[in-house]
Amino acid sequence: MTTAEVAIAPPAAKAMDSLSPRDRRLGKLMLAPALIYIILLVALPFLLALFLSLTNSSAGSLDFSFVGFQNFKSVAASAVFLRALRNTFIFTFVSQLLVIFLGNILARALLKKFRGKFLVRFLILMPWAAPISLATLGWLWIFDSTFSVINWMLKATGWLGPGQWYYWLGDPTLGMVSIITVHVWRLLPFSTVILLAGLSSIPAEVHEAADIDGAGPLAKAFQITLPMMMPILTVAVLFGVVFTFTDMNVVYLLTRGGPYNSTHVLASLAYQEGVLGGDVGRGAAVAIFLVPLLVVMAVMMLRVSRRAEVT
Amino acid sequence: MQTRRQFIMRGGKLVAAGVAASAAGPTIFTRGAGAADKTLKILQWAHFVPAYDKWFDPFAKEWGAKRGIEVTVDHVGFADVVPRATAEVAAQSGHDIHMFIGLASAFEEHVLDLKDVVGTLDNKYGKQVDLALRSTYNPFTKKQFAVSDMWVPDPGNYHKKIWTDIGQPNGPATYEDLVKAAPEIKKKYPQMQIPIGIGLSQDIDSNMAVRNMLWCHGGSIQDKDANVVLNSPETLAALEYAKRLYSVGMTQAVLSWNAASNNQAFNAQETSYILNSISAYRTAQANNLPVLENYFFVPALKGPTGIMLASEHVMSGYVVWKFSKSQDTAKEFLVALIDASRESMLGSQLYNFPSFYGAAADPGTPMNKKIESGAAWIAKQCNNDPFGSKPADKLALLAKSQPWSTNLGYPGFANPAEGEIFDTYVITDMFAKAATGTLSPRDAMAEASNRAKEIFNKWRKKGMVPGGSKDR
Repeated sequence: MTTAEVAIAPPAAKAMDSLSPRDRRLGKLMLAPALIYIILLVALPFLLALFLSLTNSSAGSLDFSFVGFQNFKSVAASAVFLRALRNTFIFTFVSQLLVIFLGNILARALLKKFRGKFLVRFLILMPWAAPISLATLGWLWIFDSTFSVINWMLKATGWLGPGQWYYWLGDPTLGMVSIITVHVWRLLPFSTVILLAGLSSIPAEVHEAADIDGAGPLAKAFQITLPMMMPILTVAVLFGVVFTFTDMNVVYLLTRGGPYNSTHVLASLAYQEGVLGGDVGRGAAVAIFLVPLLVVMAVMMLRVSRRAEVT
Repeated sequence: MQTRRQFIMRGGKLVAAGVAASAAGPTIFTRGAGAADKTLKILQWAHFVPAYDKWFDPFAKEWGAKRGIEVTVDHVGFADVVPRATAEVAAQSGHDIHMFIGLASAFEEHVLDLKDVVGTLDNKYGKQVDLALRSTYNPFTKKQFAVSDMWVPDPGNYHKKIWTDIGQPNGPATYEDLVKAAPEIKKKYPQMQIPIGIGLSQDIDSNMAVRNMLWCHGGSIQDKDANVVLNSPETLAALEYAKRLYSVGMTQAVLSWNAASNNQAFNAQETSYILNSISAYRTAQANNLPVLENYFFVPALKGPTGIMLASEHVMSGYVVWKFSKSQDTAKEFLVALIDASRESMLGSQLYNFPSFYGAAADPGTPMNKKIESGAAWIAKQCNNDPFGSKPADKLALLAKSQPWSTNLGYPGFANPAEGEIFDTYVITDMFAKAATGTLSPRDAMAEASNRAKEIFNKWRKKGMVPGGSKDR
């Protein structure tokens, strides 16, 4: 029986030893553009944000002085920040759960043969290809407090009685529901494609062998599909979590953090405080609050992924 | 490389020229269109009345063409004006002139002092309207950080038929009228979603609307000396009023509105009263909407204190960046723009009101009569709207809007702290929380007051805002 072997990948140092000096130089040369990109556009801005969070820097000025952890203290005492922190976790975990769950269903459906499969794949990919600002404008109308098409449909079908109305963007809970809905809609294509690739890569013989051995659907799911999907699933989840934790587009375009700053996530609050409000130091403090957590999560997930590497 | 002697000689000449220029009184120090001044880059907002942009862009380009200057005008949405300024300051490059539609005071350090421009305009046209001065001048640092060419009145917009049906054909006159009218409107028009459409959301229109409510109840964020006085019985009264109004006449819809939402709700006849400039009305005209025949205006509402005030809807503030390579050209352009105040007002279909009324005076009017003459010309346009209002005097009240219009920062001057409070929605959130019962009015006030003091103190430490000794 062919099974997936789970093994620790060889250390990078050993792999490097096996290369000739010429190949090593070429390797470094090939890596250089990516490294320069990461240093210039990721590492330096990050260090700058870290630096600014310890200052009283403001948008209209290039002068600043060090204020130590004052920005962090002030931010941590703010009710709006605490709400945004809670929202960030809700936003990330609920949307990721939905994305993985729905992506799995879609991927399994797309594994089957049926007429119009090409068209379905194309339609599923559409949200990923559409510019988020344009797409969110469409959603803005769908969730509009006065003209929501959902409400008008619910009214027409009798679901909503006289005087009943859903204020999708005017209620803190419904606001979060709207934000998560749009974000799930936006990330679902990517997740589906990734999971589809993972499912397609499992050799059919593995399942056939399991069938012969009398494995049921649950045993197959947990003992074959899930372990073999783990590396790719980890990549999808890691990407989704980091992307969602740091994203402000949907929140900003749909609710701008309202009503009364109740639907902010940390990224949108950082933008409001740092760019719109001009308090760059405070905005930077809000923005980098999640960095330690993101680092821990990234390390954990990469470890899991590495342990589960299929060789 | 200059020798010490050359340096001293040139410096001496510059000082002499400066002294001569000062002796001649405030004027613009021009050096002609030299090689460095051949371009002028202007960042302008995308006007709420698109017709204005069609007037402004060719105006700027023609002005430049006559002087051999290549003028570039870039438009951004109103929400991008401040982020764009932030980016340009950080990069120390970008446009020469940046137009703000609210407060430019946070950028004071990076802009030229435009006292000479305002001095020239004062000499040509007389004083600017007080709210324009209060939005563009910092009395603490004594810097004229921006020049305003226009401001926009913010009247109440009411639906004539609905208000006639409840026995008030002339619309509301006081804040109490709204509370009394709302249940009656609900009774007569049960299908109407939001009887009274005053926004309580994180957007520019709501930001102004809640300030109006605060001021008319006698409250304010700061006093005239920039002490934070939000924590007051007057603020509490305004919040308790907002709670009453919300419970009888509004829904959660107003908590989610953006800058266009109140226009859309009024134009769809889903609300009977909003606070807005005439841009929504012009949209109704352009599209010949059914609401048009019932689209009427009232002045600012009176509060229980007798105060009747509304924030300007837009206050232009043109700044010239210190990093600009075309500073003199930029200053000349700003004077030319204000020279064209009549064309600007007509180009915006009476949306823009000149900040220098004297610039709209009849040609040849003596200096001491210019402001009066300009006001008369403005009144003539409003009394007989050249853009097809029916009746033609529908906008007549706008001509008398100056006494009930004021600046952000009332009763003091605009300053960066007021700007940050505006841009981070501290006051709208206070009203929204109190109105919806999320917090008690007292707790909502305390929360907002603490945040306001924190923001003011930060700017005081930077030496840009005075006050503090009488903070409450």
